[in-house]
Formats: sequence, C-alpha cells, structure tokens
Amino acid sequence: MAKKLFQIFGPILFAAILLVVLLFSPFKLSHITAKTERKAATALSPNVLKGQVIKEAALNHQNFVPFFGSSEFSRFDFAHPSVLAAKYQRKYTPFLMGNPGTQSLTHYFQMQLITKQLENRKAVFVISPQWFVKKGTRKDAFSFYYSPLQATTWLLNRNGHTKQDRYAAQRLLEMPAGNANHTIKLALKRVANGQSITSHQRNTLTFKQRLLQHEDQLFSSLKMKNNQRKIAQAESELPQKYQLSHLDQLAIKQGKKQTSNNRFEIDNRFYQKRLQKKEKRFKNFEKNWSYVQSPEFSDFELVLNQFARTHTNVMFVIPPVNQKWSDYTGLSPKMMRQFDQKIRYQLQSQGFTNICDLSDKGNVPYFMQDTIHLGWRGWLAVDQKLDPFLTTKQSTPTYHIKNQFYTKSWQDQVHVNK
Amino acid sequence: MLSFTPYENPTYFGILAIALLPIVIGLLCKKRFHWYETIISIFFLVLTFGGPKLTQGYALIAYLIYEVVLVWLYTSYRKHKNQTSIFVGAVILAIIPLVIVKLTPAIQNGQQSLIGFLGISYLTFKAVQTIMESRDGVLKAFNPWFFLQFLVFFPTISSGPIDRYRRFKKDYDHVPDTDKYLQLLQKGVHNIFMGFVYKYMLAYLFGTLLLPKLQQQALSAHGLSWSLVGVMYVYSMYLFFDFAGYSLFAVGTSYFMGIETPINFNAPFKSHNIKEFWNRWHMTLSFWFRDYIYMRLVFFFMKHKVFKSPKTTANITYIINMTIMGFWHGVTWYYVTYGILHGIALVVNDWWLRYKKKHQKQIPHNKFTEIFAVFVTFNFVCFTFLLFSGFLNTMLLAK
Amino acid sequence: MDTKTTVLNVLNDLTGTDVSGDLDGNLFDSGLLDSMGTVQLLLQLQSELGVDVPVSEFERSEWDTPNKIIARVEAMQN
Repeated sequence: MAKKLFQIFGPILFAAILLVVLLFSPFKLSHITAKTERKAATALSPNVLKGQVIKEAALNHQNFVPFFGSSEFSRFDFAHPSVLAAKYQRKYTPFLMGNPGTQSLTHYFQMQLITKQLENRKAVFVISPQWFVKKGTRKDAFSFYYSPLQATTWLLNRNGHTKQDRYAAQRLLEMPAGNANHTIKLALKRVANGQSITSHQRNTLTFKQRLLQHEDQLFSSLKMKNNQRKIAQAESELPQKYQLSHLDQLAIKQGKKQTSNNRFEIDNRFYQKRLQKKEKRFKNFEKNWSYVQSPEFSDFELVLNQFARTHTNVMFVIPPVNQKWSDYTGLSPKMMRQFDQKIRYQLQSQGFTNICDLSDKGNVPYFMQDTIHLGWRGWLAVDQKLDPFLTTKQSTPTYHIKNQFYTKSWQDQVHVNK
Repeated sequence: MLSFTPYENPTYFGILAIALLPIVIGLLCKKRFHWYETIISIFFLVLTFGGPKLTQGYALIAYLIYEVVLVWLYTSYRKHKNQTSIFVGAVILAIIPLVIVKLTPAIQNGQQSLIGFLGISYLTFKAVQTIMESRDGVLKAFNPWFFLQFLVFFPTISSGPIDRYRRFKKDYDHVPDTDKYLQLLQKGVHNIFMGFVYKYMLAYLFGTLLLPKLQQQALSAHGLSWSLVGVMYVYSMYLFFDFAGYSLFAVGTSYFMGIETPINFNAPFKSHNIKEFWNRWHMTLSFWFRDYIYMRLVFFFMKHKVFKSPKTTANITYIINMTIMGFWHGVTWYYVTYGILHGIALVVNDWWLRYKKKHQKQIPHNKFTEIFAVFVTFNFVCFTFLLFSGFLNTMLLAK
Repeated sequence: MDTKTTVLNVLNDLTGTDVSGDLDGNLFDSGLLDSMGTVQLLLQLQSELGVDVPVSEFERSEWDTPNKIIARVEAMQN
C-alpha cells in the first residue's frame, strides 16, 4: 500500500516542493536581455507597467530615460520622441510608461518599483488636463494597472509617518484594488491612521513580495507588444539630417494629408471611427466640463513628492487641446487657463521649474493629432525643449514639498493667488 | 473572514487538501468518520456562504430546512397513501423557490432574488428526484439527516454533478476496500490535475486572454463579422473547459472521500449527432432531464394515448423537455431559444436516423461521412452556445 | 408462452430487428433502444406480462441487454 500511495502522491509532493523552492527562493529567476529592454521601452504593455523586473533592468542603464504619461505615447508618428531619438541616434532612449487611463496615482505606485533607478536621474512627465476631473482617477482603470507588488513594495519601504504616506494609503483604500488582499488592506489601514505596520504584517508582506517578484520575473516578459515595426516605419519618413524647418514642413504636409476628412484637423481614422457618426452630439457637449477641481491634484502631489525624495530632475509637459474641436464642444478656454495656472503654481512653488507648457498652442495647425493628443508639430515643439534638457548638463534642482497640496481645499481651489 | 468560490485559487486547494487528509487516512484504515465529514461539510459551507456572502448563507439555511421538511413529509405520506394530486403538489412546492429565483431577474430588471444562492438549482434537482423516486416506491427508507448530507455534499454543492439519492447512499454507507480506494485516489489526483489544465490553463486562455478582445472587435464591427465567428468558437471552448474543469475538481474531490460522483463530460465535441452530444455534455443534467422529465412525460402521454403515434409523442416531448431546460438556465430569450433549438435538433436527428436506416443502401457511411457528422454537430453546438452566451443580446443592445 | 419468448417478441417489435441472435448485445450502444423505446418497453411489459416497472426502477446499466432484461422481468414476476 505504501508503495502505491507513494506512486500516487510522490509526484505531487515533489512538484510542490519544487514550486515552493522556485517561487520563494531568494534568487532572480530571469535574465532580461538588451533586446527585451529595447522592446519594452516602446511596448506600452500593462504588464511592464505593473511589474518590476523589466523596468528595473532597463533603467539600470543610464541611456534609458523614464517617460511618464498616458495615451499620447501610443501615437508613433515621425516626431514622436522615441522615433526622433532612434533616427538621430541621440544619447537617450525614452522608456515609455503610459497607457490610456494611467494617471498620477497609477504612476505613483508603479514608481515604487523603480525608486532606486529614479535617484538623481532625469525624467519626463506628460500631464494630461483630462485627468483632473471631478471624480479623479477611474477606479477600474486604476485596478487595471495596479499590481499587489506595487503596494507590497510601497508598504515595506515606509519608514516615516508623513502626510504623503497617510494620503497615499487612504487613496489606495478608496480603490477596490487596494482592498482585494486582506493583509495589504489591514497594513494600509494602519499607515492611513499614521501607524507603522506590525512586524507580523512585515513578515507576511516580505514573503508575499518575494512570491510576486518571482511571478513578475517569470511571466511579465511573456506578453509584450512589439511596436518596433511602427517606429521603423515612422523613422523611414524622416530625412537623414535633423533640420527643424525641414521637419516642420514635413509635419504640415503629413498633418494636412492625414486630417483631410474633417474640418477639425483630427486624424482621419480617429474621426471616422469615434466622432463622425455622433458628431452632432458633441456640439457644446463639454460646455460645463472642468479640470480645475479634482482629487487628481493631490494624487499628482504624490508624484511630485516621490520625485523630490529621489532627487529626480523632471521635465513636465503640459499639452494643449485641439482648439478647433474644443470650440465646437464648448470646452471653456477660461477654465483651461485656470487649470494651467493652478498646475503651474503647484509645480513652481515647490521648485519644479522645468515646464514645457504648450497649453496656448491649441490653435497651431497640425499641432494635435486628434482632439487631445499631441501630433506632428506638437511633438516637434516638445522636442525643442526636451532634447536640450536631456542632452546637456542641468543644474540640480532643489524641491520643497508643501503638505497643503494634499488638502481638500487645494483640490477644490479655483483661483490661484499669484 | 475568508471566503471562497469553490476551487477558485491555490489557497482553497491547500485548505481542501488539509481537510481531506483525515478522511483519506480513515478510509485507508477502513473507517469512515461520518461526524468528521459533517464538520468538514459545514466548514466548507461557511467558507463558501459566509462573510461577505452571508445573505446567501441565510437563504441556503432556510432553503435546506424547507426542502428537508417537505421531502420528509411527502415520504411519510407515501408510506400510507399514493394520491397523484399530493405528489404533484409536493413537486411544485419543491421547485417553487427555484422558480422564484429564476423569475426575479426577468421581472425586476436583472435584480437577483434574495432567496437565491450559488447552487440552488442543483439542490432542487436532488430534492425533486427524491420525491419522484419515493412516489415510484423505489425509495422506501428515507432518512432526513442523511438526505441533508446528500443535499449539502460540499464537493458538488455549487454546480453539480448531480448525484442520485440511492447511488450516493450506497457509497456513503460503505467503506471501499483498499485496492478499490487506492484506485479512486489515483483517479482523484488525475481528475484534479486535469482540472487544473482545463480550468486554469485552457479556460484562462480562451476566456480571459482571447474572448474579451474578440468580443470587443465583434462589438465595434456591428453585425456579422469574422470576430463574431471567433467569439462563437472561443466562447464554446471556454464554456467547455471552464465547466468540465470544475466538474473534474468536484468528481476528484468526491473520490478522495470514497464517493463515486458520476462524471459530467465525456469528450462532447466528438459526438456524431446531437443525441450523442447530450450523452456526453453536462451528462448528469441531461440524464436528470431524461429520467425525470422526458421519460415520465413520454410514459404519461403513451399510457393515456395523448398522441397517436409514438414518433409524435417523442418529438413533442423532446421540445418540451429542452424548452424546460432552456427556462431552467434562466428566463431570457436567448436561453429559451437555446433550449428550443436543441429540442428541434433532437427531432431532426431522430427523423434523419430513421430515414438513414430506411435508405441504408443509398446513403454512404464511411470515415468521411463520420467526420462530416462530427463537424456538423460541433458547429451546430457552437452556434447554440453563442446564443447561450448572451453575447448576441449584448450586441443588440449596443446598437 | 414463457417470459423469455414474450420479452424477445416485445423487443423484436420495438427495435424492428431480431435480437434473439445476440442476447448479450448492448441495446443502447447499438442504437436499437433509446429513452422512447425504453418507455414503450415498460408499457408493453406491463400490458403483456403484468409487471409494473416504474421509471425510477429503470437503471440503464441493469437493462441494457436482452438477457439482463429477461432476468429483471423474471425477478419481478416472482
């Protein structure tokens, strides 16, 4: 009987032991190749964003520059930063982190996995005004880009009881994703109340972190999109030599060609797919929209706080909206100015002075690719600021973080005193 | 408070393994600890219906009391008398909770009934069949405490397979001899690991990785598209591997407890015709419908000579039987249409088999015709599954 | 007429085939009997031999060959 029992259960026991050793061992289970890193830099895959191992490996090389943003990154036309950097063999390669729906809170937590890599480093952050809506980040979108590894790592690295920690913990608890795991939830509750996590929680989370890291190492490079062909295609449209006036002509030409089916200078396919049928419905549709009052301002403060901690020198890009379209939808220009003032105040008053503010360029032809995403000439304008920032030596900025930006009254404040 | 849907994650299987260990050791030592089995059943019921799902838990308790008392009363009555009206009344009372649960979403805009809980239909099947067997006089010794154990047997409580009272009792009262039990353990392990492959690899591949993308594409295409065809096949594969995987877990777990719960799937997609399909797909449900609805209706119709020919009797009963099955899945147009289509298919299938038998000489029968038959059956089934998925409804509403 | 002959006659009528050649052949696997045929069989047995077999009693595995059916019927007559 014993022999028979061993025949039945032996293989299971053996497999279980093997699995436990594999998942909980302190060794790294994968090797990220240079090729994977290059692919990941433009893959825009959620699993790269959620995970650690690929971002970490890539950003350990100084030539990769972290680019934080959202949906604008997926539009690879010839003036896209990744395309320009590749074509003109610049000293930097953008490592793109941003998808539709990634906002400040997502970035704050995903950054927790690369804090070491952000130390004393340059970075680029594209702010979308559209994030700053009344309800703040969408819960489902947040869940989509959240991983327990982010929260576990964040919790294990808390040493003080700062306003930042309490606010972040409380925000994460407001998301269904933050409540999904029992231990993480209880630990978050403690941090939100200004307490340290218990030693038992610390042990459980350490264990969990190791498991999640191994999962990340084993699986996150498995499903990665490959955008390299798109980039090569866009590169082939560029002239051999970088000459601004020449590129600007090209941008106008392409813009004209690709926005020919509508009067808003919106990309033909975008217009046809998303707007044409219901164009009428959009007339004055956005009249009462506001990007001035939002919890997003405090979520954004978390990001700034993180950059200050890691002494990251960041170029912030504030894109405009397509004015031809926003005139039609009735989006208030006054409100957009207020937003611009408010976000600039939050940046500048804390020492973040590298700002590429394009908010008044919405009426420049072919600046935007569609309604809200930077296009041909928009990306060129970004490049004028970005390239010098990334390729020349910059003075070290000094940041002074103010807790007032975590308050409800700041979130709701409309006018900024100059 | 820990709370699980049965077989949902590694933690559940971990707890399951620990809980089963004393039972396995006991059975290897030729002992059955019924008290321990009861405790484990209650423990897993609390895991499934406690904590955040406590309203379901209360509904389950109320339901169990109701059904046990009802079946008990009927079986006691049946010892002395056998009136048809009482029997019909008992069956109606037994299915009323299920009817309410199934009707509520259709009446109240998709809202779920308060008295519902995961697995109510499977418990109802068990209760109804017990009443019917008692009526037929084959079930004489009814024990309410045992009946309760039979109802809440935890490996199968949420989605079957549907066991039979007398079959279950034979296993429950009996300790398998060592060779037999070792064989069961081996099959149990095999089933559970096969279940992992089905549910966590194949169903994940079809249902989580492929299906949402195809559905998105099909929705944005409006109307007929290749993506919709993709949705049809991918959903069918998902449905099979998800449910068959679950059934393998339930059967495997039962084997560990020395209970030979009947299997639910037997390679359904290699069926040559729709009748064979129903002998291979969700078998315990289809056999339940065959034994307790189809055969009884046919028996009734023939005995009272309601229809002239046996053929008509069979055909009409097919349609009634499958339509009831459609309603059982839920009161929506697509479930009911699904049922009716399968009823019609059974009628056509019978007609074709008769026709073929008559014209044996003219109609060829070889490897190719067999492959063709499998192909036609498979595609018909996938089409009805597309209907069953409710995706066509989503598409209609999205327009 | 004895039970065996009667049962075989009923089966021959029902299936349209002479089953007496293969008394241990599985009637369901060969497609000769199905649920419908089963009910007809039960009704015939009732009218010709007076044995009352309720549907619940009908466990397929115990009734799937002519020999098994004859044995069951004989058992029920006694």
